[in-house]
Amino acid sequence: MRLPRFKYLGPETLDQALDLLNTHKDDAKILAGGTDLLVRMKKGLLKPNILISLKALNELSYIKKQDGYIKIGARTPLADIIASDLIQKEARALFQACEKIGAITIQHYRGTIGGNILQDNRCHHYNQSDFHRSGRQACHKDGGKICYAREEADRCNSTCQSDGATALMALGANITLESKGGQRTVDLANFYTTDGIMPFAMESHELLKEIIIPLHGAQSAYQKLAYRSAIDYPIVCAGVLLKHSLKKEIEEARIVVGAMGRSPLFLAQVSSSLKGKKLNDTIAFKKAADASMDSSATFAVHNVGATLDYRCAMVSQMVFQALEQAAKYIKR
Amino acid sequence: MEKILITLNINGQSCEVMVYPNDTLLEVLRDELDLTGSKESCGEGACGSCTVHMDGKPVRSCLTLALEAQGVTITTVEGLANGDDLSDLQQSFIDHGAVQCGFCTPGMLMSADALLKNNPRPDKKSVRKALAGNICRCTGYTKIVEAVAHTGNPKDHCPDCKPGK
Repeated sequence: MRLPRFKYLGPETLDQALDLLNTHKDDAKILAGGTDLLVRMKKGLLKPNILISLKALNELSYIKKQDGYIKIGARTPLADIIASDLIQKEARALFQACEKIGAITIQHYRGTIGGNILQDNRCHHYNQSDFHRSGRQACHKDGGKICYAREEADRCNSTCQSDGATALMALGANITLESKGGQRTVDLANFYTTDGIMPFAMESHELLKEIIIPLHGAQSAYQKLAYRSAIDYPIVCAGVLLKHSLKKEIEEARIVVGAMGRSPLFLAQVSSSLKGKKLNDTIAFKKAADASMDSSATFAVHNVGATLDYRCAMVSQMVFQALEQAAKYIKR
Repeated sequence: MEKILITLNINGQSCEVMVYPNDTLLEVLRDELDLTGSKESCGEGACGSCTVHMDGKPVRSCLTLALEAQGVTITTVEGLANGDDLSDLQQSFIDHGAVQCGFCTPGMLMSADALLKNNPRPDKKSVRKALAGNICRCTGYTKIVEAVAHTGNPKDHCPDCKPGK
């Protein structure tokens, strides 16, 4: 499959990149690893006139611990995150999520954490080639008026299938967006529009610069369900954070379910139901897992290649497994 | 769109080639440089048949822009053998019957070669993990995994293992 034509710009510094982005705005797209952008361009889903490449911007590739936070540059390759001792110990959910993204060959040069967060929403009706889509009416995301995933739907129901975003939301991460005008830091949980067509509350002249993970002294875990051990996007995934007291009771829990809705779903009520429970309270975990299933089932549509019943049932399983894992790491 | 002159370092040789911005490394390797070992199967980074090495690390060449492949050492499957002398890995593939139609083989070799450089005696689990990004429609993977795992230990693993050249 051929890429469509575009103009290639290779800024040397972040300032240059922000300048170009500010000049071209909607005409341009950012190229990091390209595993999402270039694929969509090959399928004819998107034809930007200009690509602004982050290849030379090594200043956006770092992992460091600072003032009680882990700070990760948006262009950091997934392989670096996986190899980081710091992430493995203190942000385990992110480590587990990144391990499962793509394949080893994608995690080196081509897959970046920023790119994983900013990957466009997916739907197996939309993510098809030009040729496939030419045989039928365009759907909402494709500029049309119909949804193939949910009958009679007046809006796009494409799914956020980002492993990284699910894990990071469970970790309570913030992100920094930079532009020529300035900078702003946003809680990842507030970054989503819940619109399938434009999922991110981000302007066209803004660039994702940094991911900031607070160090809670908590443990986290991530579980992904996919058909194969590599390459595949999650059918269902769950990220979980457990903060505990010295008495081995849960002080704070964060349960996030991914690949079910138009954004990762932070289940606040279910999470707070675990407060005060003991770390070995399997029954409480099971209850929370089932409640997660009920909460997220309403968002799911049949668009990622597994039946709705199965996916919903698996939410409970993924959440339960993630909770058990996080509790297990605490006991160590 | 104008063509740009780029310099690529491939299999130890430097070559200059004119490319469009939207040419992928895979297209340049196959169409401009006649290095047809790397294959295009899915074109979207899901199958691994386009795998080449950039600075020793396996990469999807179908999703790499040719003009972004400058300044790195590129190795393709053609660079594994030394003239007519096949590498141990390649010989192991032949000995173990790990090649049927052969289309996935270059990608498998490149992913396996990268693994073996870091871990010369991997167990089967590590082999499967390293090759998880490469798809094969013919073999069912068993022989491929055996071939890779046995490359470093050609004496005592199975009847197919030959005791070295």
